[in-house]
Amino acid sequence: MWVPILGLIIGLLIGSVIAIPIPASLAKYLSIAVLAALDSAFGGIRAIFDDTFDATILLSGFFTNTLIAALLAYLGDQLGVDIYMAAVFAFGVRLFQNLAIIRRYGILKWKNRRENAKIKRDQGE
Amino acid sequence: MSKIKKWQVPVFVTFLLLGLLITVQFHTQQNYLRDLPQQSTDDLVLQFRQNNEKNEELEMALAELESQQNLFTTNISEDEALIKQMNQEVSAHQVAIGLIPVEGPGVTITIPANQPIMYYDLIDIINELWNCQAEAIAVNDHRINNSSKIYWTEYTALTIDGKAVSFPCTIKAIGDPDKLLSGLNLAGGILSNLSTYGINPTINEEEILSLPAADEPTVKHLRPIK
Repeated sequence: MWVPILGLIIGLLIGSVIAIPIPASLAKYLSIAVLAALDSAFGGIRAIFDDTFDATILLSGFFTNTLIAALLAYLGDQLGVDIYMAAVFAFGVRLFQNLAIIRRYGILKWKNRRENAKIKRDQGE
Repeated sequence: MSKIKKWQVPVFVTFLLLGLLITVQFHTQQNYLRDLPQQSTDDLVLQFRQNNEKNEELEMALAELESQQNLFTTNISEDEALIKQMNQEVSAHQVAIGLIPVEGPGVTITIPANQPIMYYDLIDIINELWNCQAEAIAVNDHRINNSSKIYWTEYTALTIDGKAVSFPCTIKAIGDPDKLLSGLNLAGGILSNLSTYGINPTINEEEILSLPAADEPTVKHLRPIK
């Protein structure tokens, strides 16, 4: 379980060291891209638990979701439609769903392990 | 345990990119919030006040410096006026003591050659001219000043400041021509006196006469009394 955490920390460090300047006018679209990236990343974790994990789906989803979210938000701004809000809603809802499922799996795993340990101990006695 | 599961690399890459994105967005957002339009009204009011105060301070400093500058400028112009005045005084004094060439209206007295003129006759003429308020006198274009000596030697007869006076001799005097003429032509005066010895100088009134400068006086022991 340390792999995503390690990746996240290294990414944060790289981002801190290399300060990539982004114009303030693009900050809004970048924020939507970050939300999409969060969604994809946690979707990937969830897929591991679901045993439906596929590297291609994860990476393609990660890149296309971020890009398309930013582009759609930009397009919405140009057209005067708050596609931005739709993206926040869609990605937000899915992000919380994914997190809830990950939490549930995590708790189940932990409980199973405790049960197993208990059984082992009982058998040992 | 060390076997890499198939999900680990893509998830690592995904989270690395996610971290990168988050920090970039974080920096961007911080910069964005630091922009003036994103700050709270209170902060802006505070900043505005601080800037105003600073502005006032700087304006006061500027006004002080400007007044100082004005002071210096007036000092300079006063000094310049003083220098100008002193220069005028100096040139007036130089004119008075004959240190610079001068010009003005006056008379010329021409004494022809071969006349029995003595050095005291010349002194009498010059004294008469000074009496008639002549301001500058020159004999044969030699300026007469307060240290001029008029005398004679055996060989050259008449000398002024040790130099022989050649004849015909022209005496130039700057002053009021009428006064000078009336003084010279006075009954029983210098001209009538000379005429008894057969000396008859020609006297001309001149509108403009120019006189050379006298020699620089040597001042070794003199100093003004304070």
